[in-house]
Amino acid sequence: MGLLKTKKIDNDEKYFFASQWSLMFKKLKKHKLAQISIVILIILYTQMLFAQFVSPYGLESFDSKVVNAPPTKVHLFDDEGIHLPFVYAYEQKRDPETFRKFYVEDKSKRYPIKLFGKGETYKFLGLFESDRHLFIVDEPAKIFIFGSDKLGRDIFSRIALGSQISLTIPLAGVFISFILGITIGSISGYFGGMVDTVIQRIIEVIRSFPTLPLWMALSAAIPARIPVIQMFLFITIILSFISWTGLARTVRSKFMSLKTEDYILAAKVAGVSDFKIILTHMIPGFISYLVVNMTLSIPGMIIGETSMSFLGLGIRPPATSWGVLLQEAQQIQNIALYPWKLVPLLYVIITVLAFNFFGDGLRDAADPYK
Amino acid sequence: MKKGLALFIVLALMISMFAGCSNNNNSAEASGSEQESVTTEQTTGEVQETQKVEVDTETLILSEAPELAEKVGTGELPAVEERMPKLEDIMIEPVFDSIGQYGGDLRFPWRGKKDKWTLEKMTEEALFRFKLDGSGVEPNVAKGYDVNEDATEYMIYLREGMKWSDGVAFTADDIVFYYNEMVLKETFGKSPYNCYYSVNPETGEKTLADVTKVDDYTVKVKFADSSVLFLERLAIDNKWMFAPKHYMEQLLPHIVGEAEAMKKAEEMGFSDIKTLGKYTGYYYWIVQDRPTLRPWLLKTDTEAAVARWERNPYYFKADAEGKQLPYINSIVCQKIESSDNIILESIAGNVDINVFELTDFTLLMENRDAGDFRVTQWSGTDWAGNAVVFNQGVEDVKLREVFTDIRFREAMSVAVDRVELAALVTDDLGSGQQASVPEGLVNFKEGWADKWSDYDVERANTLLDEMGMAKGSDGFRTYKDGSDFELNIFQIEIDSTSEMGEFEALIKKYYEAVGIKTNIKVVDSTYGEELIQSNGIVAQTFVPALFNVALRPDNIVPIRNYRSWYGSYGLYYSTHGEQGEKPEGDIALLQEYYNIIQSATDKEVVDEYSQKIIDLHEKNQWIIGYTSPKPRIVLVKNNLKNVPSKLIYCDEFRGYGHSKLQQYYFGN
Amino acid sequence: MVPLVFVTSMVVFAVIQLPPGDYVTTYIATLQAEGEAVDQKIIEDLREEYGLDQSLPVQYFKWMKNIVTKGDFGYSFSYNKPVNDVIGERMASTLLISGLTMIFTYVVAIPIGIYSALHQYSIGDYIATIIGFLGMATPNFLLAILLMFASFKWFGDPMMGLMSMEYIDAPMSIAKFLDICKHLIIPVIVIGTGGTCGLIRVMRGQMLDELDQQYVLTGRSKGLEEKKIRRKYIVRAALNPIASSIGWNLTKIFSGSTITAIVLNLPTQGPIMLGALRNQDMYLAGTWLLFMSVLTMVGTLISDIVLAWIDPRIRLMDSRM
Repeated sequence: MGLLKTKKIDNDEKYFFASQWSLMFKKLKKHKLAQISIVILIILYTQMLFAQFVSPYGLESFDSKVVNAPPTKVHLFDDEGIHLPFVYAYEQKRDPETFRKFYVEDKSKRYPIKLFGKGETYKFLGLFESDRHLFIVDEPAKIFIFGSDKLGRDIFSRIALGSQISLTIPLAGVFISFILGITIGSISGYFGGMVDTVIQRIIEVIRSFPTLPLWMALSAAIPARIPVIQMFLFITIILSFISWTGLARTVRSKFMSLKTEDYILAAKVAGVSDFKIILTHMIPGFISYLVVNMTLSIPGMIIGETSMSFLGLGIRPPATSWGVLLQEAQQIQNIALYPWKLVPLLYVIITVLAFNFFGDGLRDAADPYK
Repeated sequence: MKKGLALFIVLALMISMFAGCSNNNNSAEASGSEQESVTTEQTTGEVQETQKVEVDTETLILSEAPELAEKVGTGELPAVEERMPKLEDIMIEPVFDSIGQYGGDLRFPWRGKKDKWTLEKMTEEALFRFKLDGSGVEPNVAKGYDVNEDATEYMIYLREGMKWSDGVAFTADDIVFYYNEMVLKETFGKSPYNCYYSVNPETGEKTLADVTKVDDYTVKVKFADSSVLFLERLAIDNKWMFAPKHYMEQLLPHIVGEAEAMKKAEEMGFSDIKTLGKYTGYYYWIVQDRPTLRPWLLKTDTEAAVARWERNPYYFKADAEGKQLPYINSIVCQKIESSDNIILESIAGNVDINVFELTDFTLLMENRDAGDFRVTQWSGTDWAGNAVVFNQGVEDVKLREVFTDIRFREAMSVAVDRVELAALVTDDLGSGQQASVPEGLVNFKEGWADKWSDYDVERANTLLDEMGMAKGSDGFRTYKDGSDFELNIFQIEIDSTSEMGEFEALIKKYYEAVGIKTNIKVVDSTYGEELIQSNGIVAQTFVPALFNVALRPDNIVPIRNYRSWYGSYGLYYSTHGEQGEKPEGDIALLQEYYNIIQSATDKEVVDEYSQKIIDLHEKNQWIIGYTSPKPRIVLVKNNLKNVPSKLIYCDEFRGYGHSKLQQYYFGN
Repeated sequence: MVPLVFVTSMVVFAVIQLPPGDYVTTYIATLQAEGEAVDQKIIEDLREEYGLDQSLPVQYFKWMKNIVTKGDFGYSFSYNKPVNDVIGERMASTLLISGLTMIFTYVVAIPIGIYSALHQYSIGDYIATIIGFLGMATPNFLLAILLMFASFKWFGDPMMGLMSMEYIDAPMSIAKFLDICKHLIIPVIVIGTGGTCGLIRVMRGQMLDELDQQYVLTGRSKGLEEKKIRRKYIVRAALNPIASSIGWNLTKIFSGSTITAIVLNLPTQGPIMLGALRNQDMYLAGTWLLFMSVLTMVGTLISDIVLAWIDPRIRLMDSRM
């Protein structure tokens, strides 16, 4: 009987013995908005990984016959009744006065949407070639779910392919700043005194580093050979070295307040090493703040990328990122005449919101008192 | 609840986004314009002429703008007859449409000092200016001229009674002073202009002209050798050959001494004497209170949120009815940095005239009613809309061998589908063609625009194979010796919000389709300039423009370190062999022919050798063009009159200035 | 702090020189673009004139000397005016716009953050969250352009710049004042919503953290008024991280949100400085950067002071440990 009792661990005990992280996880599951956000983020990142497959067209699918075309209409019905979803081919016409191009559907032939259909070839994850796409239609019809740009490229494809840059680089950048910020901030805050002063001064000098000339210098110095994407990665990493300062300062101030807590004093007296104290006792104390901060930084970097493209300093065509797409979208001509080019903005907003709600959920989950 | 609300908001956003996308239904009534690629009327070199004027100026009764009349009334200004030249010497400015009326302010946004030349050209008054069709020059500030048989002596006649904008008389003294005390003494940071030299046909030696006063209104310009094109070259190089003596002699260091000059510099806010000299002598139109002969004078700081150019009460031109020009009271320049903002303000109707890109055409046309303006097109002197050049003087030996091989250039020309390219890059508003002298300009050659303009990938591959540039295992071609070949095409940005690199992306696609590995490198204008100066540009997207080889050849003849396609050959010429590299073959011929032109003793020789230079370009096609020259799209507010609907818009003709703003007026 | 300023100025000076070329190259490029012929000799003369042919340390030393002895920050090559003038001219409008938006941000964000935390998961919390997030998620410049375009479509005028053209030189009047207010709507919304969101979230997060602390429970059980607990204890503790970030915002005031200013054509410092950096207008850019770094240091100092004032634990720190 005694054996059985010790073996049976009931839920309550599970709760008491559970690690910090599994506690968080349980609570996270209950936070509805965070759940949606996680789903959205998973969808976006999956789309990013399989971008070439998910997109019906490539980055270089120029076609003058379908420039600035509005989103393709998907039909279910025609005169003959109901069918599987299909589209019509476009016929390009031109207003004789304003020379504005507009498109008329050629209702003579139906082009059904093919799942896993054949399209342009591409390298799947850079490994092997394939020509299957998630959805596509036969030429000469096109399926532009978000319309096309001024060179006839599918905007949805560009968004999906562009996310490969826009979703990874911010992660890399934030990750690096995060590590740096915490390490240096905690050292500074924990040890105080001279160490703190020196580090703070260094932070100040770095903080006032003008990022703009650095960018300009770097983009000029990099030879033409490196693909634009790599260049941007380099630059972002370098810049993340500068942005860790904000995090470091806040970590430090938190540290300075926590330093005086009793449990820290107790740990010290008990002979726990400084490093262990920082890691297992202090950091968890304000991790919720860090989590909020981190999830707020990722969107910040996403927006930063778009701003840099606006200034002409970040990713430039022919590479594609959401920043590039937005830079094209913001021209008055596009806002006035071809508003579908603003769809990348929706993606940016949704991604940013998703990260924020996710961070929110994490924060609530990490809150030990709820 | 929260979930639902979030979903709802997102959906609402998406729906509103697509709701605006139902544009494809609007213009369904457009009939007749089926599949033809409609091109905008290429107003190649056509000009709208001004109304012919036959006026006996001595019978004119002068009148003036109401504000000026008021000032005459209060005694602030002398009467209009005293402010303008004497009747028989007044210049009548013919109008494009009709005699105008006084009033109004011309709203023209600018970027401040960066756009100083735009305003300069709008208000410029040259000694002799180009005729509307560019076929020669006509008197402007000068009344006329005489030239002797061998073109070594020019007599220039001025207008009696003409005055500077501060009321002081404008006489021959101002011309002689400018030449002797400013040009020769290099007081404004420039060495004497090319036009003032005559070239000895045998020795090639250059000598400066002698400028002397004959009487108050006559100046003699004497050359050691013939200078057949003196007046035209003057109109290109220096434009104005005068300066207000009474003003300048108070601040030139060699006249008043360095200390006094320095004091003046500080008073006027300049850092040193050189800058003082540069601004009062060269960029003088943006120095307030510096007397000029222009129709409008700057009255505010250039960086002000709104800069104002006010009417010059002493302006020397009148219309055929004796009304002193300009009609318009002032030019008002709001400081706007970004071109997107300018478009927005324009379609909102807050801009009276502006020149736009071809791709803005549709947006402007759609908003004509909203903004109450009309859209017209002016032509330029570009040889193409988009072109690529390969540096013929590139330092890398292997690259040079490839670039100077005419087969390479032909291959890269025929490897591109111009029809598709033009359709994409110009939005079907232009067409594909080779870089050549446009129709309507002198040296135009029928058929040149079609040279190497077919889309012939097979031929391109054959040529490249012939050159020994075999394809490697990765599909890209290598040099004859097997080493990797890579083409770096530089794109120099003028400002960051401009061109999105579509042309370059497309070129890359076509080049790589025939096995030429291509990289597009975008650089800002500063770095680009640095590269040009140090001969670091391998290949570039560049469009040459010129209207007359004899007068302004530096785009197509290497005479100074100016363009990347001729490496350092231009530097060699301008430094007389001290720096740069000596050219050979046809490029050397270009320089040789230009020398002959400079020392020509009659116009036939000039024309002959100009043609020879152009022929060399046709033969070698150093500049490979892909699309047709882009017209300039001009927005004109509906109530702004006397704006020509056809004009040659180029730098030599001073841009907007050629349309003679002093006769614009606001009417109904 | 003073030696730090010098170190920063040296670093700043060096970094500005990093991009290839110098002002003369930019100048030549501009000249060429304008159609002027530039010969070799002129280029060398220009370098000499601007003092750009001397070595970096010499240039730096000269610059510093002028600043320290005459308060002269050098000469702006592109504006052909003393740097002092260029910066001074735009101070007023920069302060106005940035000051207003900063006040807007804090005044709006902090109360909303507090409310959000106290009424967690209520409709009010929810709406505030959504609006704040949307504002933050949309890149500022795009929002600005969209608003300007909307203004054009609905009101016929894009509301660019600080005021309409006819009022620029006119004396102050009711009409002018109203016009300025109209033009300020878009900038304040754009710049304000960008900053508010972050602040709201942080405030909210902090408040929530504090709400569950032991001392709150203690205070309640002791019978303290809820309002008093909030004001004196929770809010003060929650303001901790916000206080440490006020310092950074000081620099934001003076750069006046560059990108938005460019888009909206506002006459503030930001665009000028961007241009100076682009053109390698050394002294103008250098002075501004120096200014920014000094401000940062001042800001940090202020942050420290504010932090100490708000959080008594820090004050006591030294005595405990």
